[in-house]
Amino acid sequence: MTRGASQPWVMPSLIVALLGLVFISLAWGELTLSPAQLWAGLNNTDELARTVLFQFRLPRVITGLLTGAALAAGGLVMQAYFRNSLASPDLLGVSSGAAAGAVSAIVLGWTAVALWVLPLAAVAGAVVATFAVLLLAKRGASSERLLLAGVALNALLGAVTSYQLSHGVALWERNSQLLFWLLGGLEDRSWLHVLAALPIVVAAALLWPLGRQMDLLSLGEAEAQSLGVDVKILRRKLLVLATVLAATATAVAGIVGFVGLVVPHGLRLLVGPEHRRLVPLSILGGAVFVLACDLVGRVGGNLRLGIVTALIGGPFFLWLLRKRA
Amino acid sequence: MSALTLKNISVAGRLQAVSLELPAGALVGLIGPNGSGKSTLLQAAAGLLPVSEGAVSWSGKAVGEIAIMERARRAAWVPQEAKFEFGFSVRAVVQQGRYAHGDDEAGVDEALARFDLTELARRPVNQLSGGERQRVMLARAVVTQAPLQLWDEPLAPLDPRHGLEVLALARELAAKGGTVLMSLHDLRVAHALDLVVVLARGGLRALGKPGEVLTPELLREVFGVRVRTADGLTLELP
Repeated sequence: MTRGASQPWVMPSLIVALLGLVFISLAWGELTLSPAQLWAGLNNTDELARTVLFQFRLPRVITGLLTGAALAAGGLVMQAYFRNSLASPDLLGVSSGAAAGAVSAIVLGWTAVALWVLPLAAVAGAVVATFAVLLLAKRGASSERLLLAGVALNALLGAVTSYQLSHGVALWERNSQLLFWLLGGLEDRSWLHVLAALPIVVAAALLWPLGRQMDLLSLGEAEAQSLGVDVKILRRKLLVLATVLAATATAVAGIVGFVGLVVPHGLRLLVGPEHRRLVPLSILGGAVFVLACDLVGRVGGNLRLGIVTALIGGPFFLWLLRKRA
Repeated sequence: MSALTLKNISVAGRLQAVSLELPAGALVGLIGPNGSGKSTLLQAAAGLLPVSEGAVSWSGKAVGEIAIMERARRAAWVPQEAKFEFGFSVRAVVQQGRYAHGDDEAGVDEALARFDLTELARRPVNQLSGGERQRVMLARAVVTQAPLQLWDEPLAPLDPRHGLEVLALARELAAKGGTVLMSLHDLRVAHALDLVVVLARGGLRALGKPGEVLTPELLREVFGVRVRTADGLTLELP
């Protein structure tokens, strides 16, 4: 097989798929809107459609596509950083770290202080997890070492979250809020969540021009440095961006697994490993994947997003391991 | 002025106070037993490994004062073993050597032809054999057009013919005024180079013309081998 073929149809296909999915996600639901009603709702001429769109569906769709873009781009960055195509925010425990941070903030009552505390706590948790991974598995470490580090961290951080859950069984309302982070989902997302997800747009924009340097880094640090890349600065940038992307996504949608693994990997199989193409494609592809999974979940009777992505991503991951072995 | 100057450089636990100067236009062999510090010396000379003491300079300029992008135009380094996780094409990897030159494609096709890689140009690098990977890395180093070439055991994984071709190319680079420093284990090959640097236990043992340096006493002391001259097998390019 010759990889790295140009495959110019991938980008337009993803754009069409994204537009289609956005349209279906906005129109379809308990109250299905016709295209005319959808248009009227967006134009403020149909009161009911307007309420359905602006109160519920638009924030959900925007949060969903930002989450997907962030997780896929975050996974791509981690794979280049660790020079390992099995690295991704959820497998390495970075998502669990973000969830543990968010859940701890809720339990400690900090979230009542200000709205920005929750996303900040998620970022803090993700940062702790990222540093732990860096300590446990050096860059360029074998897949075994990297994945085992992820297993250990996921277990540890999962225990932190479970403790918080079991500790306050009486507080049903709080616990359902906590469970949200464990299962991941886009239910009841509001404009506040869209606002909280905005750092994703900034991080994605900053990531965009780094594609070429990621190419060189993904083939070795000393090699990249000898070819003219300031590896120290690049690594720092990539680490910050990956953490912000994964943490912000987790803060607004909970732990959504496998997006960061499945999307970059699938795209790499299609268009080859060049990051100048993979960065924009992963951003688009992640949005498409999450919106599609969300729709599947809604059709399947309100299955949580995290469950659907795991049902699709789990087998894909196993196939990948088998293929590499 | 010397092309490469190492002034009293030390790397904790691996190199001790090594000083040497290499002139421009020389093809230099770096020899020494396993663990004598050859790879460390090459990485330090390439400015890729921080030295705990001493200074590295290229053509009289301290490496630390040269911007990273400019360094890539002045010196190229080839690691002992390349690991490729991702399936970039052979051509794409060789072209990376042009990153510091505005990412153009100058000399890429020539280098591919020179290293017998034209037919493999579209193959993913993570599916190549060890010798093929080595040729890709060497081609990438050569397209940088850097005057200082630092190669870590370039000949080890190569078959006899490709090995001879790489040596011939190194000679050409030196004849054009470049400096090639390559580590190697084959003392017979080292004997035919312009200069040899001998390392032992992290220190410089000798530097000079092979005929003068590679005495039976030194070979016995450093490598623990005895020299016997005899008519053996000699290989040449046709």
